[in-house]
Amino acid sequence: MGLSDMVARAAARHAHVLVVETPGWWRTRAMVEREVLARGWSLAFAPADADVLVVCGKPGPQLAEAVELVWHQMPGPRVRVGVTEDDDVAPCLDGAHSRLLDTDHHMDDARQRPAASELLAEHSGMDHGGMDHGGMDHGGMDHGGMDHGGMDHGGMDHGGMDHGGMDHGGMDHGGMDHGGMDHGGGHGGMDHWGGHEGMDHGDGHEGMDHGGGHEGMDHGRHGDMDMSPSGIPLAQGGDDRDGLEMDVLDVRLGPVLPHWPAGLVLRCSLQGDVVTEARAELLDGEQPREAAAAPLARRLDNIASLLALAGWDDAAAEARSLRDVVLAPGDDPTVGRVARLRRRVRRSWTLRWSLRGVRPLSEDDVRQLGLPAHAGGDAYDRLIGMLDRAAAGDETASTGDAAGHTHDVDRTLSADLLAHLVTGLDLATARLVVASLDLDGLRAGHAEHEMSHG
Amino acid sequence: MAEPMPMPRSGATDSTIVTVAPGWAVVAVAILGALVVAAAALDGALSARASGEGGGGSGGVARPFGEAARLMRQRRRTTVEADSLLWRAGGGGLLITAVLMVTVIPLGEWTVFDLDVGVMWFNAMDVLVWALVWLTGWGPNSAHSLVGGYRFLAHGLGYELPLMFALVAPAIAAESLNVGEVAAAQEGLWFAVWMPVAFLVYLLGVVAFSVWGPFSPALGTDIAGGARAELAGVDRLVFETGRYALLAAGAAFAVPMFLGGGAGPLLPTWAWVLVKTAAVLAVLVWLRRRVPAFRPDKFMEVGWMVLIPAVLLQDLVVAVVMVGRS
Repeated sequence: MGLSDMVARAAARHAHVLVVETPGWWRTRAMVEREVLARGWSLAFAPADADVLVVCGKPGPQLAEAVELVWHQMPGPRVRVGVTEDDDVAPCLDGAHSRLLDTDHHMDDARQRPAASELLAEHSGMDHGGMDHGGMDHGGMDHGGMDHGGMDHGGMDHGGMDHGGMDHGGMDHGGMDHGGMDHGGGHGGMDHWGGHEGMDHGDGHEGMDHGGGHEGMDHGRHGDMDMSPSGIPLAQGGDDRDGLEMDVLDVRLGPVLPHWPAGLVLRCSLQGDVVTEARAELLDGEQPREAAAAPLARRLDNIASLLALAGWDDAAAEARSLRDVVLAPGDDPTVGRVARLRRRVRRSWTLRWSLRGVRPLSEDDVRQLGLPAHAGGDAYDRLIGMLDRAAAGDETASTGDAAGHTHDVDRTLSADLLAHLVTGLDLATARLVVASLDLDGLRAGHAEHEMSHG
Repeated sequence: MAEPMPMPRSGATDSTIVTVAPGWAVVAVAILGALVVAAAALDGALSARASGEGGGGSGGVARPFGEAARLMRQRRRTTVEADSLLWRAGGGGLLITAVLMVTVIPLGEWTVFDLDVGVMWFNAMDVLVWALVWLTGWGPNSAHSLVGGYRFLAHGLGYELPLMFALVAPAIAAESLNVGEVAAAQEGLWFAVWMPVAFLVYLLGVVAFSVWGPFSPALGTDIAGGARAELAGVDRLVFETGRYALLAAGAAFAVPMFLGGGAGPLLPTWAWVLVKTAAVLAVLVWLRRRVPAFRPDKFMEVGWMVLIPAVLLQDLVVAVVMVGRS
């Protein structure tokens, strides 16, 4: 066993897993998280941090597209698995583990990855799916597997050409001639220093002619090129809340985001980190299930999310492990532990200090927005409320089970409501608000809606 | 004080500090590295215990090694239109800053640099962290990491001034900015004992400039890892190592400043320095898991309304005591 084998084994023993939850598959997501932690693996924050992408359930086309983009952002060695039955979790992760060890496969993977310029060309014009990062990504950079074969950059001249937003789609490389080209200047966003992964210049470029005619290439985007380096539009200015002009960034939160409601996408306009405008939508989820959701476990899951977002890892881990105990078949020895968690949370003055005053809702607000009664107060009240209900063993789902409103109402309500509630807050606060709302019912309502119509 | 002193520092009155040959800096780095590994192992063990799992059979102690292997194997990445130079400078700079900090910390009676303004040197290095974390957030041209960078600056505005004033207290008491002389001035009574506010605020500052525990919103879960959101592979490894190194360097600097330097019974002075450093470091690592994050917008208020007045009052008390003594 060589050194690289040892490294690979040690690495695979500590894999980081990014879990994607398709709406309606939260139980599977919980099982995956539990299995991941039981192996001593970690849950990833972001694509750059992940080795394994686990997709729970069967995503619809929109979510699938988002997952694809996240996949492009992951550095190698990377493995993607889908889990569609709760029983599959352990075998799927076993499979992921053994594939992580397959170094040859990862070399191939690195070689075949599309370059960022190709992805940008493909995606410019359409929206960027699930990217929750400002820029596009070159994924894992490694010159290791590059094959420049017989290519000769010697005399090429790309002059001032900018590859930014070009569409290489219909280009015919057939009879081109690379003869006098010079790669010297102006590759726009391409980073030659680290960015060739996946490109194969192996053979057949000899006949290209970039020199004279660009016949067949689409130069359509050259006009606004200055405004969109590498095809990414520059931020536009806008007045901020103090009346100063400040750049506005369009950032999408979700759908692939830990501690975030499944399938939810929040399109935010950010100034600094303040959400000045937001639009929410719920992505499609195929085959929603879990009619018989476990409200207590979901509530504990929400509590874990909120505590994790508040930056208290230990308490979040405790809430998560309680959730797993509740989900496991058998007796329910958790009542005492839930009460202890509740006491521990209530004792923390730093937590109270950081959650107090976060998006307070009066009784009128709650009624007008159609929220359940327990959504009143600020984020701290809502957290304690969730803990109280969990400790009391309150088995009613947060909202959705309450009779009286149709699922259509639920659906629009959850989306518009969220956008309304987070506008004017900074990112961290906005996420605390979303997590504090105990939103399962709304999402479950959405899922049932899909099922009854689809 | 049993060791011979081949080269007493010129001009030193009661300091017994010896400047060692520059080559010994390697040893300083090795000690810093050992502290980093120990801190990471402790953190691995604590986090494995918190999430109720075995951590791969070793109780989590082996986690830092596995993580290092993972990141060594992972590919580096870059983003479109990244400011690569500044990005890498930011991520790698943390480790270098920590090394520059430990060069002025005496290990018993040996030090790599015996600067007359060692305390200021340390302070200058910790200010450097502002730029480095911000650059790490700025470099990749990504919204989340940029937000992380801004958050760190917001925290910085809250913690930096209290930290500076906390460093002033021991310097006033020792009537010197030389780290060795500050340590020597604590003969009999540690500064931590009679200037507890300065000591606590100093520790808070160390946690803050290491982007650690309650001061880690710049790397928050809520912004996909914040400043480090786009780091992968060896870049991430260097960044994380840098954070641990800053924490270790901060813990080590607390020893000559507040904990009597190498003073202690039985053991040689260098061993006492290491023991005290390890103890402070262990407390800081443990603390991370106990306290929720301080939200930057809220912490600023505490920094200015509570910490600065408290630590200024501390400085006043120290100054009055010193005037009374002379």
